[in-house]
Amino acid sequence: MAQYRKRSWTFYVLATFFILFVLFLYGPMLAIYILSFQGPTGGLTFPLNGVSLHWFGALFEQQRTGDFAGSFTRSILLAFLVMICTVTFSVMAGLAFRRRFFGSTAIFYMAVASLVMPGLFLSLGIGLIFRVIDVPTNWYVSALGAQLTWTLPFGLLIMFAVLSRFNRSYEEAARDLGATNRQTLQYIVLPILFPGLIAVALFGFTLSYDEFPRTLLTVGPGNTLPLEIYAMTTTVTSPALYALGTVTTVVSFAAIILSLGSIAIIQWRRGGRFRK
Amino acid sequence: MAQIGGIELANVTKQFGDTLAIDSVSMIVPPGTYCCLLGPSGCGKTTLLRMIAGHDEPTAGDVLIDGQSVLGLPPAKRGTAMMFQSYALFPHLTCLDNVAFNLKVRGVAKAERRKQAHEMLDRVQMDGFADRVPAELSGGQQQRIALARSLITNPKVLLLDEPLSALDEFLRLQMRGNLRQMQKEFGITFVHVTHTQMEAIAVAELVIVMDHGQIDQADSARGVYDTPHTTYVARFIGGQNVLGGKVVRVESGAALLEDARGNRFTVPSGDPAPDTGETRYLSIRRDWIEMEKLADPSATHSDAVNSVVGKVWMTEYQGTWVKVSITLPDGEEFVANINDGTFFANPAREGDTVVARWSAEAVHSLEHRESSFDTSRGGMQA
Repeated sequence: MAQYRKRSWTFYVLATFFILFVLFLYGPMLAIYILSFQGPTGGLTFPLNGVSLHWFGALFEQQRTGDFAGSFTRSILLAFLVMICTVTFSVMAGLAFRRRFFGSTAIFYMAVASLVMPGLFLSLGIGLIFRVIDVPTNWYVSALGAQLTWTLPFGLLIMFAVLSRFNRSYEEAARDLGATNRQTLQYIVLPILFPGLIAVALFGFTLSYDEFPRTLLTVGPGNTLPLEIYAMTTTVTSPALYALGTVTTVVSFAAIILSLGSIAIIQWRRGGRFRK
Repeated sequence: MAQIGGIELANVTKQFGDTLAIDSVSMIVPPGTYCCLLGPSGCGKTTLLRMIAGHDEPTAGDVLIDGQSVLGLPPAKRGTAMMFQSYALFPHLTCLDNVAFNLKVRGVAKAERRKQAHEMLDRVQMDGFADRVPAELSGGQQQRIALARSLITNPKVLLLDEPLSALDEFLRLQMRGNLRQMQKEFGITFVHVTHTQMEAIAVAELVIVMDHGQIDQADSARGVYDTPHTTYVARFIGGQNVLGGKVVRVESGAALLEDARGNRFTVPSGDPAPDTGETRYLSIRRDWIEMEKLADPSATHSDAVNSVVGKVWMTEYQGTWVKVSITLPDGEEFVANINDGTFFANPAREGDTVVARWSAEAVHSLEHRESSFDTSRGGMQA
């Protein structure tokens, strides 16, 4: 029933503003993705001088410009570590916070406070402490800790949202049917919460994967990917930088699609689709 | 089948912080009884149920099942099973796995527990739905799965928290019959919490009427309906008109009362007989009332004993009878259920002034009890 209705002038103003905003948001990234397919003789700017995968190949050669493979591996491993820690501790903390225990309010505010602390100073402080206690900073020790100060409160807040929709009578029903606490957790609580846990995992992973300020002064000798890219922007003068941008975007998108896809499949199953 | 599952509560009290939810309740439910806990929301009936189930512990008092104290025991060790208000079926498990859950946590081998679960599904006529998940079932089907999941634990007592409230009217009537049948078949005790008077009266052998964390009356269904003990029970169950007045005199086993408008009623004086000037309450069943139109529309009281005068404000045709709602001069509502033949021989219309009469034998004496319950909302039709 498409019916012509005269739109007010505000519609056109807001629509224009929205289009400009979308261009501003995606335009530059789109330019980078396109330029990453630059021909071997092409430069950092348009026009394209042929189309090739040359610069993607260049990424995997150890070059004077930077250590892509090493920093990429470190970032992925670190992101997985952060993800596992975040899910484990957020779930346990989320379940614990359902009951009021002694000092729960204080602990909650302390956890949330680390969300608002400036990341760079946190990084500086952690780096400093490691120097004082004479332990070398490293991506899998100090940087891991620094990133957790950011992802744990985030994960906890997501768990609050997830648990607020969790009906406690499932647990009571399980206990009524003779399940021990461990069995209730294993067979009922965790499976029902599983889509929420995937969301926490996704946040843990992506927040770690592109974290910059908290890693900057805690990472030690080997850079993570965001730090490496930042270093490369000043030294690299080839479209390899753009190829790198495309690759990292693909990784991020893969993580998101994998997570949302598995959540969707679980919800479909509970709705009764995919029956044998 | 031997009847099992006797419940006894001895001076059970439950406090949540400063709130007294259950105030020293004692009751006995004989083995194999269908019992209803009936009361308005917030009266403590669900709390009482949860204390029998072991999901809450009483602050004081004792809970016994088949003569054994179950205080401190986890739900599964009490021989009780609870059916939750919205059934709490596990959304990620199939019906079969839901029903087999108790066997699984007890370590029964997979083949054996599947066999038993199929048998139980068969008993509730749901075996065809074994591979479905709860979201695919209707409310009535979900209820039957919940019932199967509880009964597979071989409980002595099945506790049902508002089991019919999630269903539509038609299913409610059907499922309440099913519940009664299941209770007979299994020979165990059912304790069914509800706030619907009709539902309680229809299914229960023992109706326990509660208010403010106390039991007002524990009686047969007919007992609470026909011979309520208190003004609260009479008003809450419905089907009765409640009147009050001051004692004028007592003679030959009957007290004569007079209300503020000058209407006079007799009530059995009881033992000991009341003093003159005391306030007494009585109930008269709505279907034991005769009604007659008055010629004088300004009349406000009747000189005859056992009658009141008021204005008809609504008539509702109910098939075999007509419900006539009369407003008394003091604003109280008085209801007469008149046989349809009698009514239509000389029908009263809205706005007519009528006199309602009853015989002294129809009167039933009540104890006065204040209640939070609002009579305009509740009470059943008949």
